[in-house]
Amino acid sequence: MRLLIFFCALTATLIFSRCGDKSTSHPYKATPYEINIPFGFPTNLNIPEDNPMTVEGVELGRYLFYDGRLSGRTHPDSLISCATCHRQERSFEAGIDHPDFPGGFPHGINGLKTHHVMLPMINLVWNSSGYGWSGFLYPENPIENLRNLEDMVRLAVLAKDEIDGDTTRIKKLFQSINGYPNLFEKAFGSSNVTFKNIEKSIAQFIRTLISANSKFDKYMRGEEQLTQSELAGYVLFTTEEGADCFHCHGGWGNPLFTTHLFYNNGKDTAFLDPLDRYSITQDPMDRGAYKATTLRNIEVQGPFMHDGRFTTLEDVINFYSHELNMTPYIDPLMHHIIAGGIQLTPSEKIDLLNFIKTLRDDEFMTKVEFSKPDKFPDEL
Amino acid sequence: MHNKNNYIIIPTLLLVSLIFSSCENSSIEPENPTGKLRIEFNHYINGENIIFDSMAYVNDAGNNYLVNEIQYFISDVTLHKNDGSTIILNTWQDILYVDTDIDETNSYIFKDEISEDEYSKLSFTFGIVAEKNNSLMFVNPPESFMFWPELLGGGYHYMKLNGKWNNELNQPAPFNFHLGIGQIYYSFPDSISEYVQNHFIVELPEMALNIKDNETTTIKLIMNVDRWFNTPNIYDHNFWGGDIMQKQDAMQQAIENGHNVFSYIIK
Repeated sequence: MRLLIFFCALTATLIFSRCGDKSTSHPYKATPYEINIPFGFPTNLNIPEDNPMTVEGVELGRYLFYDGRLSGRTHPDSLISCATCHRQERSFEAGIDHPDFPGGFPHGINGLKTHHVMLPMINLVWNSSGYGWSGFLYPENPIENLRNLEDMVRLAVLAKDEIDGDTTRIKKLFQSINGYPNLFEKAFGSSNVTFKNIEKSIAQFIRTLISANSKFDKYMRGEEQLTQSELAGYVLFTTEEGADCFHCHGGWGNPLFTTHLFYNNGKDTAFLDPLDRYSITQDPMDRGAYKATTLRNIEVQGPFMHDGRFTTLEDVINFYSHELNMTPYIDPLMHHIIAGGIQLTPSEKIDLLNFIKTLRDDEFMTKVEFSKPDKFPDEL
Repeated sequence: MHNKNNYIIIPTLLLVSLIFSSCENSSIEPENPTGKLRIEFNHYINGENIIFDSMAYVNDAGNNYLVNEIQYFISDVTLHKNDGSTIILNTWQDILYVDTDIDETNSYIFKDEISEDEYSKLSFTFGIVAEKNNSLMFVNPPESFMFWPELLGGGYHYMKLNGKWNNELNQPAPFNFHLGIGQIYYSFPDSISEYVQNHFIVELPEMALNIKDNETTTIKLIMNVDRWFNTPNIYDHNFWGGDIMQKQDAMQQAIENGHNVFSYIIK
């Protein structure tokens, strides 16, 4: 009889070990958060395996994104959060009209200016080519803590020219604030506040910031028509003999309106910035190259380019039209460089601008789920 | 027979049957011997691997030029036998994307189980045939970045070959040697009267390709980039300029040259 029991036990063990363990139980499982893929958008998402999206994680991330105590400080004059700079009404960029950052040039709590101006914080769940103007955070980075949005959150919280926080103080503070430990418990199965989970939850919230309901999206879906001028601008945008924006900034077939790749677009003749794309790749052809930003909601953003040298979109269009600089490092896609630019006429510039404005998504910039919560957990 | 051994034999049989019945059977023997085919993509100029971003090359028009990157699609790879029969390799994937900046795209093993035999020829479509070249069929990068604007015919670029040449003013001028659906203009650039499907079939020279049972045969497919510019048409960047997506005459020259661009080595 012992032999029988032994073999039955052995059988069960082998069966379960051959077919994979499906019986692992978890004490707590948060609710999966499903990202709805908008029409034409990529189906591959940049969500790290160790930080799956959950409803509870996103909820916690939203509170933290907007909570000025993320600095670890509580004095009213020293509160600073992600949302201090990343304003929803400016597509989660500062914008040139930011009350505290004249011209849209942000600085940290200590007054130190950031090295580059901001990039918009939208549709980042589809960016796998690297975050930041130089793409210094990318999934294959051999430096393990410089790979993804979670790392971006940590860097922003600790940077002297941004939040200038201290992880120990931040953890202690949030552990002590009523409501937060419970939210951590719901999101991660432990009420113990860790900085890793702060990173994860804010990154989850950022990944929900999807903009896909502009006038152009409605045009793509057959719900709305573009005006004559907008259509003329669209033609310019997507033709080589026109403005040829689409190779870097997308279009119908790439509705992200960016490739998330890096180009020297002819801004300069000397390249002294130590944080350009070359600093990451050490490829000489990457000197003076920076990320092509998404043009979605570009109308409400600014200033433009990595150093914020242009205040208006009209300035940007004039630059591409007449002011390009030829160097050995110019990207080959800038084939209009020989003529100094795309040489648009005044009316063509208006048409192109009108098309670019069709990429503004007002729903995104007012959506409640992305906005500051009415109350923080300790006020509920 | 009711001895102790029964306690061992019966559970052992039970054990064996349960193990083999409990999981998916993944060991179905194929009826016929079959092998696999791998294609490795290589990019040469003047018979050697390209040194990218190096203004080291001269085409037959006398243009000094460099190549920065090449991205392209081939599709409907077909094996031919001496008896005239063909096999299209299209199990799961009939369109292959190649990108000189992305190593993973430079080698493909076809999913197809190919009958053991000797094959005499390999052909493929350069680009994508019209029936398959549908906008938004690739939503994920890098393929999605190859989209060809709707206004110019839609679908996808067949190829982006980006580089620079020293122009008549001795400036390193960018060229975008991009192939895709062409346009015939009623009045340029506003009115298009007709679209031109520029994809073409590349037939490699006769070969003796032996597919063997349970083996993967590798073909080293070589794009000889210099031939885009010299055979049979001498392509002059100074004449055509830096962009050709809206220049059907230039694309026509390119596709005529394209028939001669590829060679191979069976490894």
